[in-house]
Amino acid sequence: MVRTLLETEGMPKINAPHIVGELAALHDAYERALAANDVPTLKSFFWDSPHVVRYGASEHLYGTDAVSRYREGHTPVFTHRQIVRREILTLGPDLASIMCELSQTVTGQQRHSRQSQTWCRFPEAGWKIVSAHVSQTTPPADTSLGWETYVSEAAAALGLPLHPGHRPGVIQNLQRAANLAGPLLALNLPLDADLAPIFTP
Amino acid sequence: MNFDPSMASAGEIAAAVREQRITARAVTEATLERIAATHASLNAFTTVTAQRARLEAMAVDACIAAGRDPGPLAGVPHAVKNLFDLAGIVTVAGSKINRAHPPAKEDATAVERLRRAGAICVGALNMGEYAYDFVTDNAHDGPTRNPRDLARSAGGSSGGCGAAVAAGLVPIALGTDTNGSIRVPSSFCGIWGLKPTYGRLSRGGTFPFVASLDHIGPFARTVADLAAAYDAMQGPDPRDPACTLRPVEPASARLNEGLGELRVAQLGGYFEKNCPPQAHSAVAAVASVLRAGFTRHVELPQVAEARAAAFIITAIEAGHLHLDRLRTQAADFDPGIRDRFLAGALMPGAWYVQAQKFRSWYRAQVAEIFRHVDILLAPATPVPATLLGQETMTIEGVEMPVRPNLGLYTQPISFIGLPVVAAPVHPAGPQPIGVQLIAAPWNETALLRAARILEASGVCSAPVARLAA
Repeated sequence: MVRTLLETEGMPKINAPHIVGELAALHDAYERALAANDVPTLKSFFWDSPHVVRYGASEHLYGTDAVSRYREGHTPVFTHRQIVRREILTLGPDLASIMCELSQTVTGQQRHSRQSQTWCRFPEAGWKIVSAHVSQTTPPADTSLGWETYVSEAAAALGLPLHPGHRPGVIQNLQRAANLAGPLLALNLPLDADLAPIFTP
Repeated sequence: MNFDPSMASAGEIAAAVREQRITARAVTEATLERIAATHASLNAFTTVTAQRARLEAMAVDACIAAGRDPGPLAGVPHAVKNLFDLAGIVTVAGSKINRAHPPAKEDATAVERLRRAGAICVGALNMGEYAYDFVTDNAHDGPTRNPRDLARSAGGSSGGCGAAVAAGLVPIALGTDTNGSIRVPSSFCGIWGLKPTYGRLSRGGTFPFVASLDHIGPFARTVADLAAAYDAMQGPDPRDPACTLRPVEPASARLNEGLGELRVAQLGGYFEKNCPPQAHSAVAAVASVLRAGFTRHVELPQVAEARAAAFIITAIEAGHLHLDRLRTQAADFDPGIRDRFLAGALMPGAWYVQAQKFRSWYRAQVAEIFRHVDILLAPATPVPATLLGQETMTIEGVEMPVRPNLGLYTQPISFIGLPVVAAPVHPAGPQPIGVQLIAAPWNETALLRAARILEASGVCSAPVARLAA
């Protein structure tokens, strides 16, 4: 529906390949700057304006000054940051959004994060982020990323060859079992709850 | 000769044979004919053991002619889920892979005990592959169809058992139940099923699925037949390390003792919340008959976790059992089931240990509840028979996949080995549905007594399905 509307005459062209390429390169550079905690470069990606907005996992920053102060006073605490999925949408030559799911370890804990950015191309300044939002969930209950790696390595350890066609079903089943197992594993059982080697009802 | 074995109970057949109103051989021939005539529509049998059946029938007739007692099931035809060993037949357990196995050398213990009671084995019945299934939509042998509506599943994994008994092909069938595989087909096909206490009946000579949770048990159309088959199979057996050494406790002679002091309660909480209307009304109908024992509601603790633990123990033990086959023959598994085995093979050990520890804790909690009540009532399945090929069902507004969720109400019960009778309720609507009567371990007799009351009341029944010509 949206696509049809946007592609009618006079409407902006969506996902023109060269524009998508530009945004992908910019986003890659942004991620590199983030990993290096290169504060001047990070600041330069944001629109210099009192209207710029950045919501972090716990902070709400309005205007360039607030965003800059945050960058200068903040040391990133993530490791093993990896993009799980990146969706770039360009609407005409001057407007785009970049949406990412990321896997990372924050202060030692596995996190599944979401990053949303709205980009605008200005006549002099070029592409800038005009608003951004990141959020996190605790372990990847809604992604199969964890199981992708787990399945490969556990299968290898067991000497169990997995046909690529069987993998999605295996991961889906593990995910379903993990969802069921969650509350069971969270139970604090009494110490004397031993398993019986031969079970007598 | 006016005796139609397809409409008769095992008790009626045995009486007719013993009184020489009909020969076991004639019963067998009529049974073989009916199996052949209905096979194309039902697909309940995977092997018909005609020659064996004729030999066994002739032995029963010879025994009677000689004035000896052939046993309480004289001339009664029965059939078994195809994971029971039958001498001379390959035990396929619903799989393609096992077809390469050599034929079984001897009968499973349960089959041998039925033979000694005078029963005649007429064949092996279709099942979900390696019993990891609730619908018997078998990729290798085709789906078994529900005799009450051929578009519907007979339930699983003992689907052939449910169909064969409901269609009047045999009055008794033997199945297995790990998470609900007797109770789900009983519910879908509208017949009686007994999943005894874990360890009560020997699994000797059966192809396993989950050693910690596997049970065997009978299906029938009358409570007396259910009890007769159960009684014939009781007793210790060195072939099954889990089989109890307790003395046998025959139930048949005690069926008509009435409810007496038995205290009956309905399971609330998990078993009532979100329970679809037909399952709920069936439980209510059963409760109203057993009200003499004062019906009330009780709740079990952490039922969802019990189901999860059963799910995990199943996946991990089954994944391990089949690990070598998964390594070398993964492509030969039923595609509808294979990925569950693979996933089970890969699950973390910590899950398994927690599930087994939880089982000890949960068993103790439930034992406490049975100090105050003798029989608990719960639905057997959330819904009546689903359509063959149906992928999802909606339970109180939540859409969920059919196959893993038909055991919602059965898994938390068999998880700790409690005995259960699945009681068939045929409402005004087209599809029957089952109710679980659940007792403390080793109290099968209480369940069969209550079942007999339900049968006498007419609230529960298992008529032979009228098959469309």
